[in-house]
Amino acid sequence: MAARLLPLVKLATKVTIAGGALYIACDSGLLGSSEQGSEALEKAKAAIPPAIEEWMKYFGLETRLPTIPKVEFSPVQAWNSGVRQSISSLSEAPTNAAKYTNQGLQYLKDLTK
Amino acid sequence: MSEKELGRKWDRCLADGAIKIGTGLGLGVVLSVLFFKRHTWPISLGSGAGLGMAYANCQNDLRSSYLLHRSEKEQ
Repeated sequence: MAARLLPLVKLATKVTIAGGALYIACDSGLLGSSEQGSEALEKAKAAIPPAIEEWMKYFGLETRLPTIPKVEFSPVQAWNSGVRQSISSLSEAPTNAAKYTNQGLQYLKDLTK
Repeated sequence: MSEKELGRKWDRCLADGAIKIGTGLGLGVVLSVLFFKRHTWPISLGSGAGLGMAYANCQNDLRSSYLLHRSEKEQ
């Protein structure tokens, strides 16, 4: 009797876990429109520090974790400046090439004098 | 659509894409571990479905300024 029930119980547990995960994903707007997604992201970002505090207190580690240094690195700025620099170097490339060629030729001429 | 708004739409698209791919990946992992004996295909299915949803959302978002919406038609 128990041997027949056990697979059923296992199946029911698995379905509950999978169904719960799916429900959470759909309910928190993760699978909705873009605005809902960014809202959920903001909520998650705002909820992380208090959650970490709770966990630290629970484990009795009262020592202050070194706060993650606020990295002043913005990928958008880095990308934009990278694009600007590459395009400007491309646009100045012919002039620079001519200049360096002339300098090289001048150097060679000076050598042969 | 102004430049700023376009930039904001692209930002939303990328963030949304990351969220959906991650969610699909997570759900795929859960399903793979629970039901499908740790095969790889549910994971790929989940992340692919997430990518597709993100693509459709992004497409709709970027096209919305060129379409006539129902609320404007009724006037």
